[in-house]
Amino acid sequence: MDIDHNIAVVVAKSFGLFYLIALSIGVLVYVYWPSNGKRFDDAAKNVIHDEDAPWH
Amino acid sequence: MVSQLTRNERQLALVILSALALCGLAMAAIGRDDLIGGHGAFILLASLGMGFVVTSGYYHAEPSDERLAHYYDDPSKVGIVLAMIWVVFGLFIGDWVAWLLVYPEMTFDGGWASFGRLRPIHTTAVIFGFGGNALIATSFHVLQRTSRARLPDQLSPWFVLLGYNLFCLLAVTGYSMGLTQSKEYAEPEWYADIWLVIVWVTYFVLYLRTLARRKEPHIYVANWYYMAFILVVAVLHIVNNLAVPVSIAHAKSYSLFSGVQDAMTQWWYGHNAVAFFLTAGFLGMMYYYLPKKAGRPIFSYRMSIISFWGITFMYMWAGSHHLHYTALPQWVQTLGVTFSVMLLVPSWASAGNALLTLNGAWHKVRDDATLRFMMVAAIFYGLSTFEGSFMAIRPVNALSHYTDWTVGHVHAGALGWVALITFGSFYSVVPWLWKRERMYSAKLVELHFWLALAGTIIYVFAMWNSGIIQGLMWRTYNDSGTLAYSFVDSLIAMRPYYIARAIGGLLFLIGAAVGFYNIWMTARGALEESPTNADRPAAVPVAARTIEAGE
Amino acid sequence: MFGLHYKLERNTIGFALAVIVVAGIGGFVEIAPLFTVDETVEEAPNMRVYTPLELAGRNIYIREGCYACHSQMIRTLRDEVERYGPYSLAVESKYDHPMLWGSKRTGPDIARLGGKYSDQWHVAHLNNPRDVVPESIMPSYAYLGRAELKANDLGLHLKAMRAVGVPYTDEMIANATSDTYGQAMPDSTFSSGLSKRYGDKTTVRDFDGVAGQVTEMDALVAYLQILGKLTDAAYSPVAKAED
Ligand code: HEC
Repeated sequence: MDIDHNIAVVVAKSFGLFYLIALSIGVLVYVYWPSNGKRFDDAAKNVIHDEDAPWH
Repeated sequence: MVSQLTRNERQLALVILSALALCGLAMAAIGRDDLIGGHGAFILLASLGMGFVVTSGYYHAEPSDERLAHYYDDPSKVGIVLAMIWVVFGLFIGDWVAWLLVYPEMTFDGGWASFGRLRPIHTTAVIFGFGGNALIATSFHVLQRTSRARLPDQLSPWFVLLGYNLFCLLAVTGYSMGLTQSKEYAEPEWYADIWLVIVWVTYFVLYLRTLARRKEPHIYVANWYYMAFILVVAVLHIVNNLAVPVSIAHAKSYSLFSGVQDAMTQWWYGHNAVAFFLTAGFLGMMYYYLPKKAGRPIFSYRMSIISFWGITFMYMWAGSHHLHYTALPQWVQTLGVTFSVMLLVPSWASAGNALLTLNGAWHKVRDDATLRFMMVAAIFYGLSTFEGSFMAIRPVNALSHYTDWTVGHVHAGALGWVALITFGSFYSVVPWLWKRERMYSAKLVELHFWLALAGTIIYVFAMWNSGIIQGLMWRTYNDSGTLAYSFVDSLIAMRPYYIARAIGGLLFLIGAAVGFYNIWMTARGALEESPTNADRPAAVPVAARTIEAGE
Repeated sequence: MFGLHYKLERNTIGFALAVIVVAGIGGFVEIAPLFTVDETVEEAPNMRVYTPLELAGRNIYIREGCYACHSQMIRTLRDEVERYGPYSLAVESKYDHPMLWGSKRTGPDIARLGGKYSDQWHVAHLNNPRDVVPESIMPSYAYLGRAELKANDLGLHLKAMRAVGVPYTDEMIANATSDTYGQAMPDSTFSSGLSKRYGDKTTVRDFDGVAGQVTEMDALVAYLQILGKLTDAAYSPVAKAED
């Protein structure tokens, strides 16, 4: 392997953490973005009322 | 089944089966001095048998375009029946090996009946046979409903379902002959692994093709979980099974990695198989069938998305907690603990979401054992993820690792969560799929529920006790500073718990058999007694159309 | 930001890629150091490889699923070191494709089993564990003593092991079958080159005590007797345990 073990460890420890934080923020922003709310509500409700045939 | 395929699909099916038969023939011929030859013959016979079925239906009239106005559910129906067959078989073997630890003489002087060969048959039959078929069957059902689109063709779902079961059969028959890679939950040898890759890619493509045809713009969250399951399992499977066969005439192979690297890869696989096979997939099931059966939208759709990304991301890092205090570098172990503990957040978010969805519908939960299955499953999911995070902490793990506590933990998850959510989903979906008004017998659903719950609790408590006692006995010192107990002392102390565990397992097995009977009778169109609940409409006898599995 | 996600979601392939990236980066960043972890594995210059007979025995151990009940990984805990011996080093399983660290101790750890018991003890124990340890719940493996060992293709096995990185020489591969017989038949002519190829400490014995035939029992016992003995690295700096 070309990548030195220590470099790999440092990357895993530092970048991994930042990546985790960035990702969490991204997900939270997406989830709480106001205009997404309605879409989510619709999605949650729609499964309850799916009639048993595909749409055309 | 064949009459539902178009002429083109029938031709394609024959091409595929011929190719498969040729592979089987080649394996049987080249590997005639090895066990791989037996598997070759098995593949040959299986594909010839299927080929016979397709040929005999080849000149049936083609299905009309009217079919496109309906969802394609027959693969789901067959998948459910197969899952129930696998679960009864797998639990039977599981209970058998449990009794083997009480009566070790029951091996008939043959290798096939000894603990070491039967145990992987049990784990494969329940995880892959039962769990996998349940996931495939329900994913087809959920995918079509939430996309409001029919599966794109009639052949590929059958290819996925039957091809997957061929893999499972190769796996379990292989173990009883002694074919295994010894990697837990990835025991099948190289040729079976390659076959699974082909099946799995088809599965994924089928999923994408259906989603591409969807009429509903938003992809419902259950599908996210199913897709993560399909994708990540593919990656895990390929990486962990990298190996060099002795030759193409040998079933035996040597894994590419060795020692510490192999250990890490194996538990990265093992842990994420739990995450993406036994958790993500079944969460997908829960996020569809629970709201639907309860008639209430999921409590917080937002929370389900957050849990999704949390689980997808964090599980990947947690595998190393299986290797505490071993030759694995310390920092990897620490990382494993940290992420294992953080995982509690998305896990509990999912469990809480499920329970809060039921909040306000408790009367339904009280009256309807199907919903109760799902509720108890969510509770067990919450409990066993908590326990898992706890056991990942190094000092706790020092005690629990290598003991029956781990076995208890796994079964709290496997019986309490995976099996119960599946039974709950099956009891919901079976009447819908077969167009029955309800299950054949509500009383039997109730009976199954209590057998399953009692079995799980007895099992888990027995293993907690034995595990903790074992762990403590191994590390107890007497006053003179030497170890107080020999290994055999701990063995003697285990016996009562092993008996209790085997009885718990037996109850769970009987419950599953009752469930199988109930599902079978429902499929056949029978109705036992009229429903007792006032809030259900009086029983209107459904035209008793007998349906064979596979029709 | 969310517009992007919206598009992602409408485009299924994109969504699938997102899952791969999210899970994959997490997995990869953590896994990457493990592909270089062999740089951190201790050195053990004198470590020898498994003889073909031992390898065959190891394959029987795998086939019978002994790993389901026995671990081969002594952790760095005081009680384990006192019960089983010096804790396991990474290097000791360097040639183990796959590793057999195990996950469950229904039976005891056997990482340092080699030399603990006599061959006769092992044969008696495997024939019927309860003859030796009355409380044992281990299955009996008497049929191994009746099965002749298949040795004619062991050269191919060594070749495959070499392909995954174990330093078997051409000579070892060429002589694999005769070395197998040689190790279990001390008086035969096959034994000559064995210690030259695998080292002086290679044991040449009739492991199962039945002369004239090499059985699966021979192979398994030969393997059990080498456990923990491929290198003495674990003994050199006195292995100290954490609590
Ligand atoms: C059902 C679980 C189980 C399986 C499978 C199993 N063992 Fe055991 N083994 C035990 C138990 C329990 C003991 C402790 C009691 C005894 O010594 O018999 C033990 C003890 C041993 C011992 C003695 C260890 C010592 O230090 O005293 C050896 C050697 C051994 N087993 C080898 C094997 C081999 C080789 C196989 C596979 C062919 C195997 N075992 C399969 C449960 C098992």
